[in-house]
Amino acid sequence: MVVLETLGIMVILIALIGIIIGGVLIGFGVHFVPVGGAPAAMGQAPGIATGVAMLAAGAGLAGLFGGAWAAELGLLVALAAGAVGGGLMMAITQLMVNIIYIFGMGIPVASGKVAKDPITGDTQTEFKSQGTEGHGLPFVSYAGGVIGGMLGGLGGTLIYVMLLDVYLDALPLIYSTNKEAIYLVAVSLAGIFAVGMFLVNAVLAAYNITGTIEGPHDPKFKRFPRDIVASAIATAVTGIFALGLVLV
Amino acid sequence: MVDQIVFGIGITALAGALATVAGAAEDTESDIGSQGDPNSQVQLAPQMGYIHRIFNKAIAGEPPAYGLWVALGAGVAWALMAMQVNAVLAIILGSALAVFVQGIYATTAYLGRIASLAKFGQPVYIDIIKSMTTVTMAHAFVAVFTTVTVCYLINVALGHPFPLPLLGLVWGIALGAAGSATGNPFYGKERQYQSQKFGAGVPIAASGNIVRYAEAGERNSLDNGWFSSKLGGPASGVCFGLIVFFELWRTVIFEEIANGWGAVIVGILVILIFAVIDRYIEIWARKTYGPYGKPEEAA
Repeated sequence: MVVLETLGIMVILIALIGIIIGGVLIGFGVHFVPVGGAPAAMGQAPGIATGVAMLAAGAGLAGLFGGAWAAELGLLVALAAGAVGGGLMMAITQLMVNIIYIFGMGIPVASGKVAKDPITGDTQTEFKSQGTEGHGLPFVSYAGGVIGGMLGGLGGTLIYVMLLDVYLDALPLIYSTNKEAIYLVAVSLAGIFAVGMFLVNAVLAAYNITGTIEGPHDPKFKRFPRDIVASAIATAVTGIFALGLVLV
Repeated sequence: MVDQIVFGIGITALAGALATVAGAAEDTESDIGSQGDPNSQVQLAPQMGYIHRIFNKAIAGEPPAYGLWVALGAGVAWALMAMQVNAVLAIILGSALAVFVQGIYATTAYLGRIASLAKFGQPVYIDIIKSMTTVTMAHAFVAVFTTVTVCYLINVALGHPFPLPLLGLVWGIALGAAGSATGNPFYGKERQYQSQKFGAGVPIAASGNIVRYAEAGERNSLDNGWFSSKLGGPASGVCFGLIVFFELWRTVIFEEIANGWGAVIVGILVILIFAVIDRYIEIWARKTYGPYGKPEEAA
């Protein structure tokens, strides 16, 4: 228990709390992302045509990529870089979705859940084609997606930074060497666990919204409190495992 | 300092271009294999009495599948480089091995998916396996090779701390997510449901009734690949290319400003610009296409 004695239980607990917060941010953020699934691929429902977990992972991992790159500049910059990275991926992806719908398919965007876009005030119902529940990404869905991507990138980066700090302190003690020698191992371990925890929380959110959601204006969004509890518990378990790995 | 930024800009531009090729190949590959969300209709069609000759290999979405293949390609390349193999050759060999895994995946997925439809009379076509598998593998090679190269450039030339295999996993998932989001609706609505009205979504009542006859004879997945390569594929490529380019560009050029906050601010500005563009085309579509009917009372 050399590592635990040297670092102190408080350092480990603070890291665990940070990891849990990161996981909750991911789970909460996924609820903002407009996921249409298979119906969206046929223009039968609004949202992006891919699964919840994978779209969230794509955006969140892009954020993690940006955040990890900025990790050496300090916690706040890394978190902001991660958030922007996730938001940027969603902004670009969602724009291309609407470009394809509008210019490739001749279909205007419309929501199936609200009569008016809460942000722009545009009426929606007359722009739904017959036999569908809407299509594309109305602006409230677009904004929700960017916010969701930002929260995902923020959460993923927070998990990574928390783990990296602990590993950089613990691994030199375990291997009786210096930080430079184990840096790549620390980065790799932190990155892998961050990706893994990201997927855990994204999948939990996918179950909570039962597959598809239009964005923050969707009635399903109101289920998020249940997901916050689930994410906190799941992340605590995986976080203990990730931290426990080096507590020898 | 200036040299470093110029070098970074060059690498960023190259990575963006490679990512564009990767995205285009990825979407075309998944449409030939019918792996993305529109596959729900390929799977449903025989259950509604519509026997078809479309390839069918969706046992995982594009993001996890490409996360696996790109990470595999990057991992093998990394191992070979550790053995002092030339980087270009290592990446080619790594990508080739990943593609053979993809080929196994395609074959077993097709057999499994079609076997599950046996009770509805959907046959396994041997000639479909023979002709489609190599085509999906070829496209997958292009997507994997270009993405692994992007990851290599990010790690070696731009100094990202993640090792090559981890970068492969991260960008492989992002590749699948971007390609899926952009290319799937076009493939699903305009190709699988080509017979439905243009300019409207597919009515839910039409589910399963996909187009099964081609310009000559029965349609197969090569026909779909040909179609995707004209818009859905390139659009997916532009999408992923923009993602990679702007993620790198804002960091390479602006991270030096205000101890990293420059990259954050520029990132936010780029997001806002894209949001404005999106809003503009939304309004344009509503004005130009007009409504389908009259507004209903709020439910």
